[in-house]
Amino acid sequence: MAELAREQAAAPAALARPVPGAEPGRVLGLVGPPGLGLTRLGLSLLADPARRGPVAVVDVRGWLCPRAAWEAGVLPEHLVVVRCPEQGLWGRVTAALLEGLPAVYAEVPAGAGEALLRRLGALARVRRAALILRPLRGGLPSGLAHLSLFGEAVRWEGAGPGHGQITRRWLSLRAAGRGAGGVEQVLEVVDDGTDALRVVPRLAAAPAGRAAG
Amino acid sequence: MWFPDWRLRRPDAPPGEPCQVVGNGVVLARNGLAAAAGVAPGMRRRQAETLCPAVVTLAADPAAEAAAFEAVAAAVESLVPRVEVAEPGLLFVPVAGAVGYYGGEEPLVDRVTAAVAEAGGPGARLGLADGPFAARLAAAAAGEGPHIVADTRAFLAGLDVSVLGREEMVATLRWLGVTTLGALGALPREAVASRFGPAGLEAHRLAGGEDRRVQPRPLPAALTVEERFDPPLADLEQAAFAARSLAHRLLAGLGPWGGAPHRVVVEAESATGMVRSRTWRSADPFGEAEVAERVRWQLRAWVESGGVPGGLAVLRLSPADRSDRGRQLHLGDDAASELEATRALARAQALVGPEGVLQARPQGGRRPGEQVQWHRWGEPAPAPERDLRAPWPGRLPGPSPALVPPAPRSLEVEWDDGSPARVRLGSRWEPVLAWAGPWRHTGRWWVGEEAADRYQIVTSAGAFLCEVRGGKCYLAGVYD
Repeated sequence: MAELAREQAAAPAALARPVPGAEPGRVLGLVGPPGLGLTRLGLSLLADPARRGPVAVVDVRGWLCPRAAWEAGVLPEHLVVVRCPEQGLWGRVTAALLEGLPAVYAEVPAGAGEALLRRLGALARVRRAALILRPLRGGLPSGLAHLSLFGEAVRWEGAGPGHGQITRRWLSLRAAGRGAGGVEQVLEVVDDGTDALRVVPRLAAAPAGRAAG
Repeated sequence: MWFPDWRLRRPDAPPGEPCQVVGNGVVLARNGLAAAAGVAPGMRRRQAETLCPAVVTLAADPAAEAAAFEAVAAAVESLVPRVEVAEPGLLFVPVAGAVGYYGGEEPLVDRVTAAVAEAGGPGARLGLADGPFAARLAAAAAGEGPHIVADTRAFLAGLDVSVLGREEMVATLRWLGVTTLGALGALPREAVASRFGPAGLEAHRLAGGEDRRVQPRPLPAALTVEERFDPPLADLEQAAFAARSLAHRLLAGLGPWGGAPHRVVVEAESATGMVRSRTWRSADPFGEAEVAERVRWQLRAWVESGGVPGGLAVLRLSPADRSDRGRQLHLGDDAASELEATRALARAQALVGPEGVLQARPQGGRRPGEQVQWHRWGEPAPAPERDLRAPWPGRLPGPSPALVPPAPRSLEVEWDDGSPARVRLGSRWEPVLAWAGPWRHTGRWWVGEEAADRYQIVTSAGAFLCEVRGGKCYLAGVYD
């Protein structure tokens, strides 16, 4: 951690840019197939609001492991996991949470309709709650998310052919929407298992990884 | 003492037509004609207007209502000192001393009834019981004459749990088969507190007739805040602005004491030296905005009744008592957000059931799933099953998989000379780019536990944790 901190202090400002955050009253979409690391990214975005109060995760599959959230900096006593396998209840449960919590990360079941998602977006705006939507299949209706992050590719480091262990990942994202200034941007996130998630420009990715190791 | 129709006592309320008073889009009061059409307090405005299209909707004006109610409060206060205004139309009167002075409950009630009828006209309902909660319900049950409750506990026992007014808790209680306050009061207090937290404890006390008694504690004089105006303020808006800053100072001063007031005494001194005082009460601890609002209402009431001659020279606020559950932070940053968060989670719990809203804390273990101890939200966390500080050989290093299936799921892996070569993901086979392990878990063979080897497998579609046990491969986690 000390090495990482030194490296961050010495790095150019662009290397230490924080990951786009969950903003109050805004919808953030995390779109991409499972396995790209978007769940962990979504959980890490809860770390900041969780410092101020409770946050909730709507877990549709019942698979969510809170250890990943804790490693990403979410306080265990501020993380509430709501398991909602029943699709008919999903919208009401998410709406109920948005009424009183500052940030909600919700997996979106495959059958959730566009009207329902837009209602939730409007509710998040009214209640000034940050809503992170992670569709389990497909994408989100156009214009719903203030910022959409599309998972493009993931690269894991640390594991070799039968040796080592997974230590770090590089997640390539495409950012779109009003939150990205209306222009599509490509960014890369490095995650080494601590809460020091950082955005790095693509060209600087390799040197930054070497220095932080 | 309660006027159910106080909000409707205004000159713009049309006689002979259905009428409702609405605040924040919710029906606060309605007259008999609207009630006959199905309009009820608490209903959304749109719903009420659908039920009764002819209803006349009036916007609530709490300041005007409070100003009009001041005459009633003053009339009662001339008989019994230190009355408490809960809201315009609802007044609590501590009668312990007055009963002895006037020679019994009935003579006291007769005098109060006469004074109220003179100041506020007919329509008041009087209830006499132990504590404000039961007294309010007794007033609601009263008709033309007063309702004097001899046995508060027995009176409460037969009432429906909905009188508690906490929607989520009431829904959960009904779901559990608890429909009356008597049934709630008969439950073990520890069980109710464990299930519903502080709100449940409060409800259990109320259901058992143990209303919160106001027992003013000696507070440091420094907690009283005041503002002196030179020259005296004649403009109500200026006074209301000062009230907001005073409310902020009052709450800020209480913060270090860990309390929030349920009652606030508003005191105004006029330029001529006349001092007026009124206590406001709230079921929930007062926040800054609520205190400022009450002060504004009260000042308007006094100004309109000519009670502050020469203008306002001094405005003073003091907490009459402190709540022991006020601003002790637990989940939220402040009492209001904590309350909102609790309500939101309770609503979610009512929808998905108690097993669906969970919190977790770290504990020891080898598998990712073992390292998490779940417990229901709102209940105290049990003692860890596995010591977090123990070594746990074979434990996987971080980062942990973000997704862990609740039960082992079969995973097809092709092996090439002892190394994983391809993984089947859905309908396609993904080549293994890298792999690490095995982390061997020998298992407690003496209780029949199988040995298992765990591997981290990296493909272009993601990284997975798989477990090989008994010659078969299972998915143990996804590094999503």
